[in-house]
Amino acid sequence: MITNGVAGLAAGGTYALLGVCVVLLYRVVAVVSFAGAALAAFGAFTTTVLTEHGWAFTPALIVGVACGAAVTALAGLVMATWFAESSPSTKAAVMVAFLVGLISLGARIFGAEHPHDFPSPFSGGVVTIAGAVITEASVITVVLAAALTVGISAFLKRTRTGVRLRALSERPSTAEHLGLRTRWLACGMWATSGALATIAIVVIAPSRTPSFSSLSLLIVPALAAALIGLFQSIEIAFFGGLALGILEGVAAGIDQIQEYRGVLPFAVILVALLWSQRKEQWDEAR
Amino acid sequence: MLRIGLRAASAAAVGLALLAAGCGSSGSSDTTKSSSASASGAAASGPSCKGGKIKIGSVSTLSGAVTFPDVSGAARATFDQLNARGGINGCKVDYVVEDDKGDPQTATQAARDLVQNQGVVALAGSGGLLDCEVNGQFYAQQRIGAVSGLGVDGACWSTPNISPVNVGPFTLTTAMLYYASEKLKLDKLCVVNYILAGTKKAYQNAVDQWTKLTGKRLTLFDQTLPPQGDYTPYVLKTKRAGCQMVLSNAVEPQALSWMKIVDQQKISGIKWFFLAPGYSDAVAKALENTRSDVYAGTEWEPYTDKESSANTDWRSTMEAAGRPLTAFSQGGYESATVMADVLRSIRGDITRDSVYQALVDMKPISTPLTGTPYVFGPGRTHASNTATKIMQLDHGTWKVSTPDWVVLPKS
Repeated sequence: MITNGVAGLAAGGTYALLGVCVVLLYRVVAVVSFAGAALAAFGAFTTTVLTEHGWAFTPALIVGVACGAAVTALAGLVMATWFAESSPSTKAAVMVAFLVGLISLGARIFGAEHPHDFPSPFSGGVVTIAGAVITEASVITVVLAAALTVGISAFLKRTRTGVRLRALSERPSTAEHLGLRTRWLACGMWATSGALATIAIVVIAPSRTPSFSSLSLLIVPALAAALIGLFQSIEIAFFGGLALGILEGVAAGIDQIQEYRGVLPFAVILVALLWSQRKEQWDEAR
Repeated sequence: MLRIGLRAASAAAVGLALLAAGCGSSGSSDTTKSSSASASGAAASGPSCKGGKIKIGSVSTLSGAVTFPDVSGAARATFDQLNARGGINGCKVDYVVEDDKGDPQTATQAARDLVQNQGVVALAGSGGLLDCEVNGQFYAQQRIGAVSGLGVDGACWSTPNISPVNVGPFTLTTAMLYYASEKLKLDKLCVVNYILAGTKKAYQNAVDQWTKLTGKRLTLFDQTLPPQGDYTPYVLKTKRAGCQMVLSNAVEPQALSWMKIVDQQKISGIKWFFLAPGYSDAVAKALENTRSDVYAGTEWEPYTDKESSANTDWRSTMEAAGRPLTAFSQGGYESATVMADVLRSIRGDITRDSVYQALVDMKPISTPLTGTPYVFGPGRTHASNTATKIMQLDHGTWKVSTPDWVVLPKS
């Protein structure tokens, strides 16, 4: 059980990193980004295609991250231009449409017949715990997610730009009337989250099924992590993501429940939603 | 603040709901030699056809997430070559391929269009994700025979009117376990599979068949591998179980992911076996630096073996048509060749009934690409190809590990 829990850490780091990106976007542009991983997958696949064509990893990664940031910013521009004042349900529906469309588009552009060989410069082992090797990729994703959590929390609370960004999510029209360049601030945040998510997917892809759809659907556990913190707490999203990865690993080692481990993120989402509604139900009962 | 969170939670719930809504033997003792499809049979009392054409159909997955264009493409190249050399007693094969797009509804319509509207007399060179599953009963009702170029779903080996030319994942599972236990003399064999709808029981039967042949049992039999995700816990599980050999039905992307984790976790002393989908250039290239023992089973003569004389006619046919040299193209070529031989055996009009009867009555045909003769026959199910060659990965290249066919003994 300990071995499997440790083995789940790599997935946990990715869920945490993507979950933090989801919360960040929600807090500054009030959009639940269902397509976050799919948009970033464009950047990750760009990196891979370039390395397959003989590019060195570092320049390929730079171009890939730029591509991930650009397509994510483009999606952000669409949301900021046409859906800034829409209801959360409408925004969610648009993002789901983005996700479904992007999965088809990604499969078409990058091909689905044969797998791409993702570069794996971070596949070395750092330490062995309980028989499971903790890889460099695991450490990178966890450290990156932790640094991002600390950095974003401080940025949103203590900087002038951070306060402006929060104003965006609360009252986009008011913020615009006050002279804030809301659309460009929003696009900047989308681009930042796209770049970070691209890095996360590039790091984790070699040890996942390297298909566009499977990498795009990494958003599901990330959303579960974000939901644990009710899309407000970046710290809880971080720890939630880690816990979910570890839980998946542990579940894979228990014969009775291992075939249901794919359901875990949805179970977590359901529990989080029920928990979030408890107060209103109790108030009504009283 | 809490209200904002609840709004997000509601949005997430709506989104996930939308997302969920969007996502979605026969045998015979007599054997005849196959003539290459390029040879024209011109017997005076041979087959005849209306309008000088024999319409053959194919329901194949040519677009969608997973595609098999090489199968019907190779069958077309084979029929084209046959036509260029005079056809069958002057009759030219008119080959019609319908794309099922990996969609059950489209596959259903495609089969009905081919059989009822276009009047094909048989099906050959099909390579579809779900053709057998959704159209098997229809083919039986219509009494039309299908010599499938690539059986994919489990129904391909369990319906009376479809007889694929490939071994298929279930027989190949039995054959590879047999090779590991009887030829390599390994004791602790493990199977880790992912399960597509309806295949769990078929894989269980395949393992049971191996137990029946050898009297041995698996050390670990896990059929809960997710189609995607992190396989680290599963890889570690095989290590803990003490497996000497692990067989998986993982397809290309899964096999790559699996082996990269094996290397990351520094696991040694286990032989990793994959079914035919693992035998590809993409897998070989991506695992160029692996130090693990990686094997894959073939469904036909190894397509990467340039020295093999068995591949000569297939290779020249594909090269002449500019078709890729892949394992799937062997399936298309094989099914077209077999179908041509069956058509040649008909005396009189080539109709749906006469072709079906010829398939039922046919004698087994030995072909260079397979280790066992092909036969359709009168059985309720068909699985004539029961031989494999085992490939071993060697620094990014597949090498033939068993020059002789590994043939399953009759139980």
